[in-house]
Amino acid sequence: MRRILSSVTDGRGFDILLVSITMIFLLALSGMPLVYNVVMSFQEVDMFNLNTFSRPYAGLENYREVVSQPEFGLILKNTAFFVFGSIAGQFVLGFALAMFFMMRFPFAATIRGVFLVSWVMPGLVVGALWGWILAGDFGVLNAILKGIGVIDSTMFWKSDPRLSIWAVTIANIWLGLAFNMMLLSVGLAAIPRDLYEAAELDGANGWHRFTTMTLPMMRSTIGAVLALGLIYTLQQFDLFPAITEGGPANSSNVAQYWAWQYSFLLFDFAKGATVSVMMLGFVLIASIVYVWSTRHEVRG
Amino acid sequence: MTRLPVPRLFLALAMVLAAIYLFPLYWMYATSLKGQSEIFANPPTFWPRDPDPSIYPETWERRSMGRFLWNSLVIGTGVTALTVLLGTGCAYVLARYRSAWVDLGLFAILMLQVLPASVMITPLYVGFNQLGLLSYPRTAVILAAAGKAIPFYIVLVRATFMNVPRELEEAALVDGNSRWGAFFFIVLPLARNGILVLAILTFMQAFGEYIYAKSIITTQAYQPASVGLSGFLGPNSTDWNGIMAYAAIYVTPIVAIFVILQRRIVAGLTSGALK
Amino acid sequence: MTPQIEIASVDKHYGAYHALKDINLTIPRGAFTALVGPSGCGKSTLLRSIAGLESITSGNLRIAGTEMSGVPPRKRDVAMVFQSYALYPHMNVLGNLTYSLRFKGFNKEQARKKADEVAQVIGLTELLERYPRELSGGQRQRVAMGRAIICEPKAFLFDEPLSNLDAALRVHMRMEIRALHDRLGATSVYVTHDQVEAMTMADHVVVMRAGVIEQQGAPLELYDNPANKFVAGFIGSPAMNFLDATVAEDGRSARLEIAGKPVLPLARTLQPGREVTVGLRPEHLRIDTAAPRLQVPVRVVESTGSLTYSTTETEPELMIVEQGRGRYRAGETLPLTIAPEDIHLFDPTSGTAL
Repeated sequence: MRRILSSVTDGRGFDILLVSITMIFLLALSGMPLVYNVVMSFQEVDMFNLNTFSRPYAGLENYREVVSQPEFGLILKNTAFFVFGSIAGQFVLGFALAMFFMMRFPFAATIRGVFLVSWVMPGLVVGALWGWILAGDFGVLNAILKGIGVIDSTMFWKSDPRLSIWAVTIANIWLGLAFNMMLLSVGLAAIPRDLYEAAELDGANGWHRFTTMTLPMMRSTIGAVLALGLIYTLQQFDLFPAITEGGPANSSNVAQYWAWQYSFLLFDFAKGATVSVMMLGFVLIASIVYVWSTRHEVRG
Repeated sequence: MTRLPVPRLFLALAMVLAAIYLFPLYWMYATSLKGQSEIFANPPTFWPRDPDPSIYPETWERRSMGRFLWNSLVIGTGVTALTVLLGTGCAYVLARYRSAWVDLGLFAILMLQVLPASVMITPLYVGFNQLGLLSYPRTAVILAAAGKAIPFYIVLVRATFMNVPRELEEAALVDGNSRWGAFFFIVLPLARNGILVLAILTFMQAFGEYIYAKSIITTQAYQPASVGLSGFLGPNSTDWNGIMAYAAIYVTPIVAIFVILQRRIVAGLTSGALK
Repeated sequence: MTPQIEIASVDKHYGAYHALKDINLTIPRGAFTALVGPSGCGKSTLLRSIAGLESITSGNLRIAGTEMSGVPPRKRDVAMVFQSYALYPHMNVLGNLTYSLRFKGFNKEQARKKADEVAQVIGLTELLERYPRELSGGQRQRVAMGRAIICEPKAFLFDEPLSNLDAALRVHMRMEIRALHDRLGATSVYVTHDQVEAMTMADHVVVMRAGVIEQQGAPLELYDNPANKFVAGFIGSPAMNFLDATVAEDGRSARLEIAGKPVLPLARTLQPGREVTVGLRPEHLRIDTAAPRLQVPVRVVESTGSLTYSTTETEPELMIVEQGRGRYRAGETLPLTIAPEDIHLFDPTSGTAL
């Protein structure tokens, strides 16, 4: 006992204590639910056995039912569109802005920092703002687009099934753009300036410098940013209830919102868990890419 | 990279870009000050013709925002306290050592960081229901949201601790401190700024938390402002100046804190996310 | 002399890595001991083990007669000066000096009085209110020293304390540390990779390599009688020249494996035909036009005015140091000789001195 006590005040026990309390908490609130999720996806869960632990085993029945839903294909397509559209938009615009702000002019860092305000705002508020901007007849985006002659008829962003997924994707690009830019700026700032000067002396023009210096030097940063983009996009939830509620007719529904609808609108927790487990597959792939890209950070 | 002699031009361009980017925020304030008829003007007016701030007290009253914001504050504070309490020590240990165990712990934490809340909410809800935690809905939300916030917090605070030289702590040990003394009197004070920034970020996130609160808290009296906002928001909303006034009241404190601490938040955020 | 620190059969493993191998070392009370060796030799690990910052895997470690393995640093009553000084950046000089007194039951006034005394000793009286970031490198070094002496520890441990200073200040602080040691009658253990520091400051020098003590003794003892080729090459600057050689038929001279195969007389008799490694210190090779033992062409001549360093055009190349300005230029031939008693002989395979 005394040995343990002295280890806690002076030795390894101190470290073990600090880590283990947190790890136990995380295990209880993240690790176990994760396992429980997988378990539930193989069970029959209804309002009567919700409170018990022994539920009938359902095998792959839940998976079969989820896959055979008529909206399954549409939601898969929407999720892919939302994820890749968001990542592409955030990344390309974020990279362009990051490059722009690397140039030396007064207040560059401050103005760049202001962009990040989109990232600290509650997702639901961002959803509300974009819901109003994208409104059909009175939305300001339509007015602006008409004003500069891009469109001539009103676009019903939220209620047109062909456009509704665009509405949430645009809002999400706005939301994540600043974070992408910030991470890419860190990567850009880490490239030594004299490399560019050397390349310039060697006769490389701007485009060459970008493709032969910037891109290769940024490879691990880009990998991490894309992986984080995938992770954060799959985490994005708040925009859906705020803008389209997945509608009309599931035309803007995605896996993460569908899973929630199953559990909390239809109270079919088993199906909710099943959709979640399917999503986890993608998340795991993304996190492996992320951890791999930041592995030198991990090694610290 | 480029040495064009016109930094002023770039500054102007940067300000135009920032203005375009922050337009939604402006539009929120502008809309909230418009009257009901002006909202539906076509084309919309970019500057309110007749700014009328009376919508603010009215919305505050009608949407019982005091109660909603109080609940957001309770949840935000609870999550932040729990996160700082549990995350700081763990982040310190993970910063201090390099071993296979530390790598494993860090890997586990990175993995937990990426789990979407929408995936976690189903098992958490069912589990909380079985444990009877749903009778304490705000506590349940605090626990769930802290589980989500801690991994993120650990990863970033760890970066702060890595900047505290190990020799300082060793000097404190030789000077007569126990591990606890060295941690509290030497290491923590030196990591204070980073911890503070990340605590504020954690608070901001928890203050705007929606999915856990929406799913777990069914009693209106305990719902936070995000759930309150969702109550009159949807594809068919029309009360836009009310919604924008609500949104403005909700985010203005967050935006204000962000603007004041912008430099530090950006530094704290970028130091750990990627190296 | 009473031993202050006794280290017996100490081993230290980091996983599979064997950092300290069977270390035996006794440090008498009042002695200034230097641990010296190339980086990674285990000298810092040994020092940190004495401080309690590293735990030893096996063996005994006693400070002032008390067994210390498993005892936390705070209960060992030692003080340490770190390479980075490790001054607490959020405390001023006074706070840094008196920090350790908090744990030893001093009240504020006593601590202040003690700090004033120490500040007097190390010349910091004017700087007590300053913060570490406002001090120069030398002043920080002094604060680190003050923080060590204030609690009158059983031993001072120095971990390369001068390596962050510029050359001139380093020479000055070298003397100051040694003077302080003598004044306090303290027991000091001093880790350095710089053999000049070790030789000039210490009473007792411990040369380490790869976790093993290669040799320990008085500085000049190590210079005169190195136990093996490693110590011979490490102690002395510029480093000793090593040449392969064969003992001649008479057993009293060696034929060098260098252009011209010159023969050097030895001070002792060895078995004829035996292969040996001959060690010649650059400062022992003298220019002798009358009766040169070896004639070597010079490739590079570098002179500082007081000393001249010549590097030869041979395989292996030799380094020669002569006093004053050199008389020979690059391309010329140096006539050299060396006294038989200055020749070091080593076994070519084991490297031990013969």
